[in-house]
This record gives sequence, C-alpha cells and structure tokens, in this order.
Amino acid sequence: MSLYELLGTLEIGFVFGLVALGAFLTFRVLDFPDLTVEGSFPLGAAVCAALIVTAGWNPWLATAAAAVVGFSAGWVTALLNVRFNILHILAGILVAISLYSINLRIMSGPNKPLLGVETMFSDFEGFGLPGYMINPIILGVAIVIVLALVNVFLNTGYGMAMRAAGANPAMAEANGINVGRMKLYGVGLANGLTALAGALFAQIFGAADAYMGIGVIIVGLASVIVGTSLLPSRTILQATIACVFGAILYRFAVALALNADFLGLRASDVQMVTAILVMLALIAQHSGANFKRLFKPAIDK
Amino acid sequence: MIELRDVHVTFNPKTPLETRALRGIDLTVPEGQFLTVIGSNGAGKSTALNVLAGLAPVERGSVRLQGEDVTSWPVHRRARLISRVFQDPKMGTCEDLTIMENFALAHGRTEPKGFRLAIDRSMRSRIAERLEVLGLGLENRLGDKVGLLSGGQRQAVSLLMATTGETRVLLLDEHTAALDPKTAEFVLELTRTIVERLKLTAVMVTHSMAQALSTGERTIMFHRGKIIFDSSGAERASMGVEDLLHLFKKTQGEELSDDSLLLD
Repeated sequence: MSLYELLGTLEIGFVFGLVALGAFLTFRVLDFPDLTVEGSFPLGAAVCAALIVTAGWNPWLATAAAAVVGFSAGWVTALLNVRFNILHILAGILVAISLYSINLRIMSGPNKPLLGVETMFSDFEGFGLPGYMINPIILGVAIVIVLALVNVFLNTGYGMAMRAAGANPAMAEANGINVGRMKLYGVGLANGLTALAGALFAQIFGAADAYMGIGVIIVGLASVIVGTSLLPSRTILQATIACVFGAILYRFAVALALNADFLGLRASDVQMVTAILVMLALIAQHSGANFKRLFKPAIDK
Repeated sequence: MIELRDVHVTFNPKTPLETRALRGIDLTVPEGQFLTVIGSNGAGKSTALNVLAGLAPVERGSVRLQGEDVTSWPVHRRARLISRVFQDPKMGTCEDLTIMENFALAHGRTEPKGFRLAIDRSMRSRIAERLEVLGLGLENRLGDKVGLLSGGQRQAVSLLMATTGETRVLLLDEHTAALDPKTAEFVLELTRTIVERLKLTAVMVTHSMAQALSTGERTIMFHRGKIIFDSSGAERASMGVEDLLHLFKKTQGEELSDDSLLLD
C-alpha cells in the first residue's frame, strides 16, 4: 500500500467515522435500528453540492445546511415510529426510499459534479502540502472535535436522558423523560452526522451521486461492531473512540481486500466483502464459544 | 395527596377479551399517609397503581395528584409529582449506566439539567452520603454499572432514587416480591424509614396480608375491580391476617381462592 493509498483510506475512514458515531447513537444508545442513513448520506451530499454549484453558497454554510437537512430526515423517521407506531426499521426504509427520489430532485439528475468550484477543502490549499496530505489532517481534526462534542452531549442532562430512553424506556418515563422526544432528537442527530459525512464525501470526491448511499448502513454498523468488539467499550468515551477506530479499520480491511488480487476480488465485490465482514464480526462477538465449536468434532458436543 | 373519583378502567373494550379491571374506584389518600393495598390476582390493585402512574387508560373518572387534575397527563409529565419503585429490580434502574448516572437521572426528574452536565461534584458527595446509610458499601462503587449489583441492592438503589428530589407521592408496586425474605425485610424496613422521615404520601401494593397490616397506617383491599375493605387506626391495629380473611368471607360470601394471599 502506497502513502497515497494509505492517506486516502484514512481520509475516507475519518469521514465514515461520522457515520459510525451516528450508528452508535441509534443502534447502541437509543436501541433504534435506523436505516434512514442509506438516504441521508446521499441527501447530505446532494444538498451540499446543489447549494454550492446551483445556489452559489459558501461551502461551509452548504455543509452545515446539509447536516441540518439530514437531521430533519432522521426526525421524520423517528416521527413515523413514535407518533404513528410504524416499526422503526420499516420507517427508516420508507424515508430512505423517498429520499432517493428527493435526491434526484435536489440534484436535478442522478449526480452533481463539484468540479471547478470552491469546496471546504479549497480553503486549506496553499499550506504547502498537497490535498491528499492535508485533507486527512483536516478530517482527523474534525472527527476529534465531533467525537468530543458527542461525548460532552451524552454526559449532559439531555444526553443522560437519551441513554436511559434507549436502555430502559419504562424507567426513563418514570423519571420524567419524554422517550418519544429523545428518539426524535437522537435519530435526527445521527442522521445529521451521516449527512455531514455525505457532504464531506462529495467535496472530497468532487461529485454527489444518487447511488452513493448504498451500503452506508452496513458501513456504520460494521464500524460499531468491529470497533467495539476489538477495543474496550465500557464507558461512552471508550465506545465512541472504538466506533471511529472501527470505521478506519473497516476501510483498511476493504482496501486490503480489494488490493488482494490473489483472492480474485474486484471493485464490484465491495458490498459482498462488507457484508461478510459484518457477519463474521457478529458471529464472533455473540458466540465466541460457538465459533470454536464449529470446528470441533461433533462427538465433543 | 391523591384523589381518585369514580375511576373506571376497561381493557380491550368491545372485544371478546373485554376485562373491566376497575369498576368505579373512589379513593382519597391525604398528604403524608402511608397506604397499603392488597387483593388477589386480577383484583385491580396493580391497575389502580398504573392509573396513578399514567400507564393505564382511564375510561371514566378523574385522577388528581397534589391538587392537580392529571387524568390526561402522560407518564413522564406525572413524574414531576410522583415517583415509583417497580416489582422487577431490573425495571427501576438502568443497568447499562453507573450508579452515579442513575442517580443523575433520578435528579433530572424534578430538576432537569438540560444541556448542563448531568453530574456535578456536589451531587457526587451527597449521593455517596445517602448510599452510606444503607451499609452495603455502595458509596465506594459509584462508578460501577448497576447491572453488576444484586437484586436487593438494585431495589435499595431504586428506592433511594425514587426519593431523590421534591416528589411528595411514592408508588411501590410489590417492590419486595422478587427478593428473598431477608432482603425483602431489609428493603421494607428501609421503605418505612424513608417514608416516615420524608413524610411522603405512599401507596404500597403487596401480596402479603401480614406485610400490608404491619406497614403504613391504612390498608385497603381490592376485589373484582372494587375496594371492598378500608381500615385504619385502632380497628386496623387490632387486626390480624385471620380477621382480614374472615371479613373478606363475610363481605363477599365466598372463600378467598388465591393461596398467595395466605402466605406469611
């Protein structure tokens, strides 16, 4: 792996660290399996690209707007679940599907190139370092800041309430916590982070694409599962660090798998590689003992 | 102060499974009174408690707490006025959170912290002080997850959490039923002490007639969705489990079938 590839992988790893933090909020903190992210990731990219290219917005503002729009997508999913009692997974799928059409509208087409326009990363040119070196640094700093903010939030009154709402809803209600509202904020926040990741991703790669959301849910989930099963995750700080670490590790695993010509893998195999990685992590996590038993002779059972 | 006026609760109305859980309950619990509630399975005692907590849908009638009509209030809004200890020790605390964080949640019930940090230094020492009284050594384990505690320890913590802050009404839903006899007695004694010291209005549902008569200052009995017996003062003081059974037979003209009520 060359330095260029290494930094590129790190760069994407940091971006998907945001997705991983979102997945941590929904899957682990709120116990709300949220599939909206499949739509909110490209939504963030689309909103950001359309605002920069079509509306001529400042890229920083456009990125912030993308996060806000992502928040509202998550809000809608949680609302379908909380107010209208639609199963959480189904609510997420419904919103993600409709976002596909909405994204096509926003971009007035299947994609929106960002070539030749100012992006957030243009502001950091001229520090004497090429983009492929400076971008990972900026994104690394960004992810540390977001990580810190998420940690502070989860230790505030609202954050504690959100954790209780996910861990023990009946107890949370009895302690005056509006569990439904916590879901609205939490799923919104997770999708805000995911849309932010989408906006950054589009600016790095110079285009927003309607199909770029495929598999995002698995990436987020894989990062959380791989990270928290490899690193200690007893406290919130440890768990959030583990998630970001998981996202980076996951990108490296994918990069290595795709570079492994001897395995006969192609770029188009990436989704399958992803799914298999997650399956293995889940099996290993839930049944360390069973995993070994698979390889034992039947007579031992 | 608790006031129930002609409360009716029907589960699965207009279906073959229709169950009339409460059929016109009138009950006033004055400020500072410790009421115990008994009744066989399905008599309506837990439903009555759920009506107070906001978990059971009231078909007709009204619920007032501390002078406020709370009939249409959701559970989390009532939490400002009432606190609750559940039967299942796992229900009253959050096992993924530390002891400290659980207390911070209980604190948020009456004094929400919003975007300020949920735990501050003064809270830590105050909680350690309160835990020390239990004599369980929990004051040194503030950073431990509650999931690591035993059922009895968790129930004791639940009780302390429920009596954090300004709440005046305490609901106890068979909170010693899942514990072994020795731990149950410990938690019950703790309950008596706390309720007396804080002069709380308390409602304790129990399966044990002996416990109902020996705790608090007034006892009521539910049967088929109605209050069939209400005793306090000298009459109650001179009463034993036998008298209670006799009275039940007389008023209802039938043998009490639920064996669980006869235990201890």
